[in-house]
Amino acid sequence: MEIRISEKMSIMEKLGILSDAAKYDVACTSSGTERTGNGTGMGNSIAAGICHSFSADGRCISLLKILFTNECVYDCKYCINRKSNDIPRASFTPDEVCQLTMEFYRRNYIEGLFLSSGIIYSPTYTMELIYQTIFQLRNVHHFQGYIHVKAIPGTDPGVIEKLGYIVDRMSVNLELPTAEGLRQLAPNKHRKNILAPMRQIQTGITENKNEIAIYRNAKSFVPAGQSSQVIVGATPESDFQIMSVAESLYDKFALKRVFYSAFVHVNDDKDLPALPGGPPLLREHRLYQADWLLRFYGFTANELLSEARPNFNILLDPKADWALRHLEVFPIEINKADYQMLLRIPGIGVKSAQRVQKARRNGNLDFEDLKKMGVVLKRALYFISCNGRMMYHTRIEEDYITRNLLNIKEKLPFDANGVTYKQISLFDDKTFDASPTITDGNLALFGQF
Amino acid sequence: MENNVLQDIVIICEDSMEGIFTAIYEAYELKKDHRRICIQTKNNQEYHLFASYSESITDRIKAEKVTNTIIREFGMDAFQGICQALATEEKDKADMVYHGIVTGFSMKNRKGFLDNLANPYINKIFTMSRFTGNEAHHLMGFLRFQELENGILFSKIGPKNNILTFLAPHFADRLPNENFMIYDENRKLCVVHPKKMQWILVEGEKIDEEIMNKFSVREEEYQELFRYFCQTIAIKERINLKLQKQMLPLRFQEFMTEFQ
Repeated sequence: MEIRISEKMSIMEKLGILSDAAKYDVACTSSGTERTGNGTGMGNSIAAGICHSFSADGRCISLLKILFTNECVYDCKYCINRKSNDIPRASFTPDEVCQLTMEFYRRNYIEGLFLSSGIIYSPTYTMELIYQTIFQLRNVHHFQGYIHVKAIPGTDPGVIEKLGYIVDRMSVNLELPTAEGLRQLAPNKHRKNILAPMRQIQTGITENKNEIAIYRNAKSFVPAGQSSQVIVGATPESDFQIMSVAESLYDKFALKRVFYSAFVHVNDDKDLPALPGGPPLLREHRLYQADWLLRFYGFTANELLSEARPNFNILLDPKADWALRHLEVFPIEINKADYQMLLRIPGIGVKSAQRVQKARRNGNLDFEDLKKMGVVLKRALYFISCNGRMMYHTRIEEDYITRNLLNIKEKLPFDANGVTYKQISLFDDKTFDASPTITDGNLALFGQF
Repeated sequence: MENNVLQDIVIICEDSMEGIFTAIYEAYELKKDHRRICIQTKNNQEYHLFASYSESITDRIKAEKVTNTIIREFGMDAFQGICQALATEEKDKADMVYHGIVTGFSMKNRKGFLDNLANPYINKIFTMSRFTGNEAHHLMGFLRFQELENGILFSKIGPKNNILTFLAPHFADRLPNENFMIYDENRKLCVVHPKKMQWILVEGEKIDEEIMNKFSVREEEYQELFRYFCQTIAIKERINLKLQKQMLPLRFQEFMTEFQ
């Protein structure tokens, strides 16, 4: 295969082709490192990351997200850049990448660079080119901003290592949640080739932390940690399988983030699902909600799902769903419960839980206080008590609370005298078919509704 | 607040951090019951029947003493929060900060000043501080520089709160070798940062409209490149303009290159 270094193409055309080709990699954060400028170069890094813009699909634009080249020797079936697709191909030169990064950065368009690539010749050859580009950016242009680089599975460990010292985040995409799925849709990529660099980066980070504990000025290795991505809906894995995979990535590989990318039908291939309903966005949303529960709320995948219930509830978010299946722990007394229990209450998030915990030190809290602190009382009221009393006379009973949670958009269900409510709900309407069937449920989750 | 009925002493002060701190100092000097005292800024006066008014002249020494006391008693975080709260345009901010500080002195754990959200004054300080903090963080991302003919990076913003002083250190650290200016068009204030030097805040100077609109040769090219990038990066199957507007309110879009 001949490599055409398209110098005749303008930088504008290349940018169009190579950002269009990069957009399905949804990693977008610029968070994870805090670094002040060194006074001579350009750039610093904010721990929380900064969102510079939002694209028409509502996603955050934080980095200049491009492929170094969209030439590729692999033929992964879901990928727009697969070898057998006849699309315009382009490659940047290291100079062009540096120029775009620096000029965009100084105008405050971006927080840094996100560089991925198709594969020319071999993974190691391509990563060497990327290394040269990043090296130039850091050492010739003195760029101190954020750099996120994608490691290509199968790259020589030596290249991964030297790259690790000049980037902020390096990640490898898992692509498909199971080895079976990977074999089916990306025959060139093997599971062990993906996990090996992940392990190498993880080990490198741990060893580096120990190094820095001894020599403060030791150079950092991948300071913002690593992330990964799975495609949702291209293969028939259940939500439980996906969440279990994500959970082990967090536990065993110390990943900072897992991204879930709803499958977008860009190629026609007999092995890809048709998805007449478009990309499975609700399912992706539920997965992100569950992901947050794993990382910030102390849940495990087994608490949320199981072999018997392998997919998320369509109508309720995973936390409310859990609460309804565990009504025995409610109502929770706000003034006494520990932080971990506060997090389990629907309507209380991490921020409100922290505020409640700290404000309690100055005296007992009442429902009015909770509302001021950002607790969503409309949801939480069914699950909490303040100083022994619940807000309204509530039955702790699954159907009753479920109906109320589902009707949240309407006004509060009853008055303070405890008179049971009479309210129009979807379930009273005789002409409406009671609840979605299991088939409906699955169709909706897989984007075919 | 319920205390309005008792308030028969009103101190009027200048609408600035130094002015408000001076008034707080003088309120303590009076040695009267704090519930009787109310602090108002000059342009936000509310008239109380039967109240006695006095005007407070901004005094740097007094303001500094209050600053040091706040930092010493309540910690740097609380001071930062109070400064951010005072950067808002809220009519009652001076009184809220004053009574918040009074409450703070009666707290057992003073270093947990901003955590005492059950108290209405501290809660108000917190929400004002959050408003400013959020806007400053948004603008760190949404602010756009344009390269002028003379090489200066110029930026115009229209913030609801007075956040220039929260933005300047971030950009001074990020772009030490650039000449840049950030202009707050609502307040006619401008941050000026000469290359390799300390940034300064300039007030009252009129910006030369002509020079402001003369871009460098490459500027148009890079604006076009960025607009094109923002366009191509969107996944067509997921276009959701409502979500985009929700995440990026129109009032910010007005000043951003990619939305021109």
